[in-house]
Amino acid sequence: MFRPKLLFTSLAALALGACSPQDPQAVTSAAIAKQVILPTYSRWVEADRQLAVSALAFCEGKNTLETARADFLHAQKAWAELQPLLIGPLAEGNRAWQVQFWPDKKNLVGRQVEQLINSDKPIDAGTLANSSVVVQGLSAYEYILFDSKPDTANAEQKARYCPLLVAIGARQKALAEEILQGWNKNDGVLAQMTKFPNQRYADSHEAIADVLRAQVTALDTLKKKLGTPMGRMSKGIPQPLQAEAWRSQSSLKSLHASLSAAQTVWAGVDNQGLRSLLGSDQKALADKIDAAYAVSLKLLADAPKPLNELLEDEAGREQLNAIYDSLNAVHRLHETDLAKALGIQLGFNANDGD
Amino acid sequence: MVRRQVLKVGSALLAALTLGGWTLFQNKRQQPLLLSARDDSDGNHYAVGYRLDGSQVFATQVGQRCHDIINHPALPIALFVARRPGTESYLIDLRDGRLLQTITSQPNRHFYGHAVIHKSGEWLYATENDTSDPGRGVLGVYRFEGEWLQHSGELSTHGLGPHQVSWLPDGETLVVANGGIRTEAESRVEMNLDAMEPSLVLMRRDGTLLSKETLSQQMNSIRHLAVASDGTLIACQQFMGDAHETAELLAIKRPGQAFQPFPVAHAQLQSMANYTASVAVHSELRLVALTAPRANRLFIWDLDSGATRLDAPMPDCAGVGAVADGFVVTSGQGRCRLYDCRKSELIGQPLQLPPGLWDNHLHLA
Repeated sequence: MFRPKLLFTSLAALALGACSPQDPQAVTSAAIAKQVILPTYSRWVEADRQLAVSALAFCEGKNTLETARADFLHAQKAWAELQPLLIGPLAEGNRAWQVQFWPDKKNLVGRQVEQLINSDKPIDAGTLANSSVVVQGLSAYEYILFDSKPDTANAEQKARYCPLLVAIGARQKALAEEILQGWNKNDGVLAQMTKFPNQRYADSHEAIADVLRAQVTALDTLKKKLGTPMGRMSKGIPQPLQAEAWRSQSSLKSLHASLSAAQTVWAGVDNQGLRSLLGSDQKALADKIDAAYAVSLKLLADAPKPLNELLEDEAGREQLNAIYDSLNAVHRLHETDLAKALGIQLGFNANDGD
Repeated sequence: MVRRQVLKVGSALLAALTLGGWTLFQNKRQQPLLLSARDDSDGNHYAVGYRLDGSQVFATQVGQRCHDIINHPALPIALFVARRPGTESYLIDLRDGRLLQTITSQPNRHFYGHAVIHKSGEWLYATENDTSDPGRGVLGVYRFEGEWLQHSGELSTHGLGPHQVSWLPDGETLVVANGGIRTEAESRVEMNLDAMEPSLVLMRRDGTLLSKETLSQQMNSIRHLAVASDGTLIACQQFMGDAHETAELLAIKRPGQAFQPFPVAHAQLQSMANYTASVAVHSELRLVALTAPRANRLFIWDLDSGATRLDAPMPDCAGVGAVADGFVVTSGQGRCRLYDCRKSELIGQPLQLPPGLWDNHLHLA
């Protein structure tokens, strides 16, 4: 197949060969970027702005602990929705670790927050940006508001943890704004997912492949986020403290938010998601993926108790197994069938290098 | 005795004849021949040769997935080396892709994906695992009898889990990246992550150890090498520690100096996902190029000043090699690219090569 020879420079994207409207992959890539990814990033920025305000208000005594926790959960949900959309700057430079520290096998979050609090070093957003990623993000914020040790109901304790809480709020807000800027600027990712070739993508197929890669990686991570506390990586012995967001008991809610976002990439707004790239001869596969999402989302939404409580008895563990299997079905359909149908090679070296 | 001499004369004649063929072949070419291991979408393995304009010279299906390729200095043949823990390497005729010989590793040995051929064209050295003492590094020594490779012995690499092997410019001193990891036969599972012993070894062809150097982090596996014509040696690493930690993923040994980290910006080290695939040096333009496929990131630095020349996204960027104008980069997922590095602004261009499924190394013959 003939491919036009086009240049892209190291400094700026040259819009030499703007996509023709007939290129369905370019249309889909642009639609997913504009209608799904960008609005989700914008909601994350809003949630983190609210988090920064909330931390201050809580520390100044204007907000209750309950309100502070609700604002945290809102930011946590916005972050969960970004999981299948980790393309561009947030997927680069270890930045995701700066938002959330998971997995945390050795309780580094609790230990490093305590170390920092007890070190008498002044803490603000600036110094925090140069500190360990462990204390920069939502996991440390969650520790302060939900773990029993800091006891933020106690005024004296609250005063000790407040500088860090306020700094994390400010740090997360700044980080989110910087990332959104990276999407919106002239040669930012939004432009790179719209006009080809550019410094990131040699053609629209590479952009679609990147969308699917982010999707598959996220679905695989969701399985790990559930499978790790279930004990799937530890000979069947449940590890409730290895769960994401176990302190705020929002593990399953986060999984649901991430999976809903993945489903939006698949279905799209106005039907312009990945599904639109499948021809009519692929309807059976499209129906299968639709059904798999529906089953998994329903199981997650219907979970009667938080993850740690479900882990406590056989009936609960069976429900978790069913959720895991449903996530696995969605993951496999993307990784194998959808990738093949879209002609995408996933992680040939990236996951299996040498 | 007599038969052996006849054989020798025969192979010398053959070599002379083929040498003529190779010279003719080389003169005719407009561009270098890009050699790589590649898969098809059904998972079949191939040894391939392409011109940079996209024309295929050969694509020979082989039984095991290969990794690096090394061509003979005089004959139009190249060895496609089995990727670990593979046991079959393939000697291929570069003119038509004909499989000349399948080299099977010795009992209790498997290949590690890399090899070198001595400038005389007579000896080949391949990094191998002694699976009876898993991870003990050896260099399998093979001798060319015409277009046929014969195992003739082995040397210690003076370390564990050797990976790439290269020559210093004298063509006599071997450099070995001992990855430091023990693995068993038919396995890629690490056995000693808490007791890794990565090292950079310089040794003579008779096996004598000249030097053995390490980096500061024990879990930083030294894997791949590139050597500039002035003897500057570059190594790139894969860090086996926690994902949020940062490691010295690129290191340099300038002639007469100690092995030490290359001055890469902290933010760049953080953006490599602790994994590098291939490194290449451009001796004339004094540049070093590095691929980080897990982070979908390609880097080019000035070899002498360490200044960044390129820090760009590229999906599953894999093999990288120097050509006259800059670097060619292959991809496991997307289009292969050529970066023209002659001017201050680097210009990238997608190549007409088939996209995706290229293994982590390319070799330009």
